[in-house]
Amino acid sequence: MKAYTGGGDGGMTSLLSGERVAKTHCRVEACGEVDELSCVVGALIASLPKEDRGLRDELLETQGELFRLGAILAATRGSHASGMFPKFGPEPTRRLEELTDRLEEQLPPLQGFVFPGGHPTAAWAHLARAVARRAERRVVQCFQESAEGRPDAAFGDMIPYLNRLSSFLFAVARFCNSILGVPERTWPG
Amino acid sequence: MAGVTGGGRFTSRLLARTWLSGDTFEIELERPAGFRFVPGQGIRVSRGALEREYTLVSGPDDERLSLCVQRLPRGVLSSALAELHIGTGLSLSGPHGYFLFQPTQAPPLFIATGTGIAPFVSMVRAGARGFSLLHGAATQADLHYRTRVQAAADLYVGCLSRERPGEPGQPWKFSGRVTHYLRDRLSPGTFDFYLCGRRAMVRDVVSIVDERFPGSRVFFEIFF
Repeated sequence: MKAYTGGGDGGMTSLLSGERVAKTHCRVEACGEVDELSCVVGALIASLPKEDRGLRDELLETQGELFRLGAILAATRGSHASGMFPKFGPEPTRRLEELTDRLEEQLPPLQGFVFPGGHPTAAWAHLARAVARRAERRVVQCFQESAEGRPDAAFGDMIPYLNRLSSFLFAVARFCNSILGVPERTWPG
Repeated sequence: MAGVTGGGRFTSRLLARTWLSGDTFEIELERPAGFRFVPGQGIRVSRGALEREYTLVSGPDDERLSLCVQRLPRGVLSSALAELHIGTGLSLSGPHGYFLFQPTQAPPLFIATGTGIAPFVSMVRAGARGFSLLHGAATQADLHYRTRVQAAADLYVGCLSRERPGEPGQPWKFSGRVTHYLRDRLSPGTFDFYLCGRRAMVRDVVSIVDERFPGSRVFFEIFF
């Protein structure tokens, strides 16, 4: 398959379910945010220490979940395309909760607001965390606007997932600074 | 329809080859046990380090897997497939792709150029009816599978870029590209467009759809 068509040069694009919509359509916006999130998670993976295969594998799985999420966002409710992918259930959210708990058990208690940064790997995780928050806002907006007239049940488990993902990425950032020996800086207020 | 793609790898053999025109042929492959697909999907065919994706032209219940291949001047695998001995082993993976027939209330309009007819033949073999089909090609000899798809279509038009208008008794022939037909002959309306062919065709048709057929759906698959 070719990577480009030129069919979107007029400002319109096709959803997975075939509808031609403006590139500012809420589903397109939400897909774009999820794509950007996956890109930043990819940069985070690329910067992880090679020996940390456990975290790498979990983040790779997260990227797979983000692809699924993007595909679901790109298909309107009730369309044939919306049935092409397995439902996005609560299991990925539970996985993130367990992972976050495991990381936090290894971290010192929070002393205040943490400055994003530190080791470059932690900085990527902080950036991913912020992009995850933005993606969540866009998905919520799309859910509320519900371009097809009423809320789409397919969104139900995606919003908690993105919410937990940003928490997980925050824990990853702190964990990376911890294992890589970079002190955490907190805002004195 | 959940989980229509699969990353399975299989071994197969070349069972037959039929030339359809000067540079295009159909090959039939042994269907691996357990291999299932939905019309519109494709497989990756490997021979040594070479690998290419082709859309299946066979129906989902056919005994063999069939592909429609154009031998390209610099196409290494297409040239190999054109010359391989019958019985030669090949590796397959798949099925791949989401270019599937998704009927709605809107009338379906299939548009193919060249070997882009492949997914529509598979859909017809699976029972698709009630559609219109524009097949763009240089000459009538390049309208592969015409009789098969024409019998199933409500409207079939062969859009020929290098032939004069059809003779009386051949109303299905149109002299010009599929884009000319869309602009000049098809009344405005709302359709489900399914496009399969070269990038330039898809780009131009999508532009016409946005202009003349607002509210339509567009699904596409681009061939190299």
